Amino acid sequence: MLRDIFTSFGGVESYGLISMIIFVVFFALLILHTVSLNTKDVENFSRIPLDDFLKKSEEIQES
Amino acid sequence: MENQTFYYDNKIVKNFAYATLFWGVIGMVVGLLLALQFIWPALTFGIPYTTFGRIRPIHTNAVIFAFVGNGMFTGIYYSLQRLCKARMFNDLLSKINFWGWQLIIVLAAVTFASGITTGKEYAELEWPIDLLVAVIWLVFGANMIGTIIKRRTQHIYVAIWFYIATFVTITVLHVVNSLAIPVNLFKSYPIYAGVQDALVQWWYGHNAVAFFLTTPFLGLMYYFLPKAANRPIYSYRLSIVHFWALIFLYIWAGPHHLLYSALPNWAQSLGVVFSVMLIAPSWGGMVNGLLTLRGAWDRVREDPVLKFMVVAVTAYGMSTFEGPMMSTKTVNAISHFTDWTVGHAHIGALGWNGFLTFAVLYYLIPRIFQTQLFSRKIANFHFWIGTLGIIFYAVPLYWGAITQASMWKEFTAAGFLKYPNFLETVTQLKPMYATRAIGGGLYIAGIVLGIYNLILTIKAGKFLPEEVASAPALALAEGKRGSGEGIHRWLERRPVQFILVALVAILIGGLIEIVPLYLVKTNVPTIASVKPYTPLELQGRDIYVREGCYTCHSQQVRPFRSETERYGEYAKAGEYVYDHPFQWGSKRNGPDLSREGVVSGRQYKPNSWHYNHLLNPQRLNEQSIMPVYKWLISDDLDLSTTAKKIRVMQFLGVPYPPGYDKIANAELMIQAKGIADDLKSQGIEVEPNKEIIAMIAYLQRLGKDVHAAGTPTATITGK
Repeated sequence: MLRDIFTSFGGVESYGLISMIIFVVFFALLILHTVSLNTKDVENFSRIPLDDFLKKSEEIQES
Repeated sequence: MENQTFYYDNKIVKNFAYATLFWGVIGMVVGLLLALQFIWPALTFGIPYTTFGRIRPIHTNAVIFAFVGNGMFTGIYYSLQRLCKARMFNDLLSKINFWGWQLIIVLAAVTFASGITTGKEYAELEWPIDLLVAVIWLVFGANMIGTIIKRRTQHIYVAIWFYIATFVTITVLHVVNSLAIPVNLFKSYPIYAGVQDALVQWWYGHNAVAFFLTTPFLGLMYYFLPKAANRPIYSYRLSIVHFWALIFLYIWAGPHHLLYSALPNWAQSLGVVFSVMLIAPSWGGMVNGLLTLRGAWDRVREDPVLKFMVVAVTAYGMSTFEGPMMSTKTVNAISHFTDWTVGHAHIGALGWNGFLTFAVLYYLIPRIFQTQLFSRKIANFHFWIGTLGIIFYAVPLYWGAITQASMWKEFTAAGFLKYPNFLETVTQLKPMYATRAIGGGLYIAGIVLGIYNLILTIKAGKFLPEEVASAPALALAEGKRGSGEGIHRWLERRPVQFILVALVAILIGGLIEIVPLYLVKTNVPTIASVKPYTPLELQGRDIYVREGCYTCHSQQVRPFRSETERYGEYAKAGEYVYDHPFQWGSKRNGPDLSREGVVSGRQYKPNSWHYNHLLNPQRLNEQSIMPVYKWLISDDLDLSTTAKKIRVMQFLGVPYPPGYDKIANAELMIQAKGIADDLKSQGIEVEPNKEIIAMIAYLQRLGKDVHAAGTPTATITGK
């Protein structure tokens, strides 16, 4: 069945076009999705590396 | 929620950091030796273990998997714990990852120097070591995924997405490309042949660049750049698009390494289209990195860590602009097989990977040793000498590449090749090669200074093996999507689902490119006159693979007049159907050899010429940069493997008659005696059981079958 699908679906020459369509549709949706994200959440996420919750051992022992 | 106290494992970070520095020096010094061999070929010292073909894989593997690999693990083990607010999942797995990886590197160096290789670029390891790589890689993956699962943060940060993509994709690439049938412990044949092997190999090769040298380092960029600049990442939205677009597109780009080859046009076109599109996500990532520094550019002047990062990200941008450009057919016609590819690869390796690795080391070593960097001045000097080294390395290679490609293509007014002797186009490049070696030397000098600076930093500090930290325990979140929670927000807290979606994204491209090449027969039209290699030729081919001849000689004539005039008939898919592995090569330091055996061809040489050339190339051409192969004359051919090799080939579908393995050695000796007798008639005494006889037999076979077919288009019998 797999062989039939790959050989009869307009020939392998159409793969490039099909692939482009998959890419364009998928990423158009992805961009729409990212634009719709909550700005406050996104800003918080972008600060994650700066937010280590790290304390020096002395500070923790003191607490 | 109750605060929990836990400890980060800094010992594993330190071990990987030390290994990075150690292997970095080794890998680059071997690279420098290779560069010097272009100027003084005698630097192989006349022994097999130091020939270009054997130590080139040591250089590439040491730099990619040892230097960059250990650097990647250093950064991941440091950042993952902090981003997950958790110690690594299992200390034993961390140790197995570290020591297993170092063992693989040592085994790789020993086997490559000994000529034990699969002959597939960047995947040269033989099957037992491949298995070990798979095990150690899975150990790393289990440790990483375990850490992500037991994290104390709800959200999985973008850097970790890139680490996940690295693990998932490298697993798939390594397994698929390494499938082989063993002949013995040190020799195997890949299950793929010819064009199919080429496509799988470059699907692997290109994506090893993508998912070993790029995605993990993008992950490191997304963690260490905001940390060093003390600024949030410029755009989290952009990072989402960057991540998915990059991993989806990258996997398709492999065929751009095979333009104008015998690979079907549709696959080449896919490679070109997706390579050009790749510039968008790649530059999205670069822009996201550089704009993170907005408002902090004044600190770049002072801080060596930021300096290294800025040049690293810029080199990434340059390299990812150049890559798509080289993937277009017009540019590729000039750049392929020349030093342009080498220059391009080193902008990425020295600039992007090398400088980001040093940025990470300069950032984290003072921190885990609870001190300041010993000397900013030395670090700045390292930065400038390294940058100068990159420029001195790359510019002459670009210059040389365009010079050589132009010479290859130039015709006289009468319509003949202006430079018919390939060697003329090599000797022209020697000044460029010398400048390249100076560039490499400067870069290594910078690393030595960097190591000195880090050693003094370490001496001045006190190592903190267990770094205490605290964070609230992670509240169990609902598995299903909450109301108003977007799909991506949900994925960002569900590691297993995230892995599965990433796996689907990277599989699409590979499947669409590779599967049709197996299912659609017309993709590889067979040629009736193409027959399997004789046992002697097969043994000779294995010696050709062992000596790494493909590192300097291609076996793929492109359909250009300049190439068909120089070499002969252009390459066709059907002529490689028994080539396990394919040996098309990617760089011409010497001429193409695929028409070497065509008696009426331009490249043809008698047996005696090959004998004398392998014995001492400089005796035939004083300017030749080819190493001597005198051991081929003294070493006996290993006849004990012939029968097994024939049986493995039969298993792979090569149509030797049943029972042929039993008579293979007898046939081998008949053919060998014929060559020995011919040499004797030229005054050369050599026994028929010597390796050089098999090598000559193989070289004299190249191109003969296609030539015998006459007009190729009339005899192609593809269905």
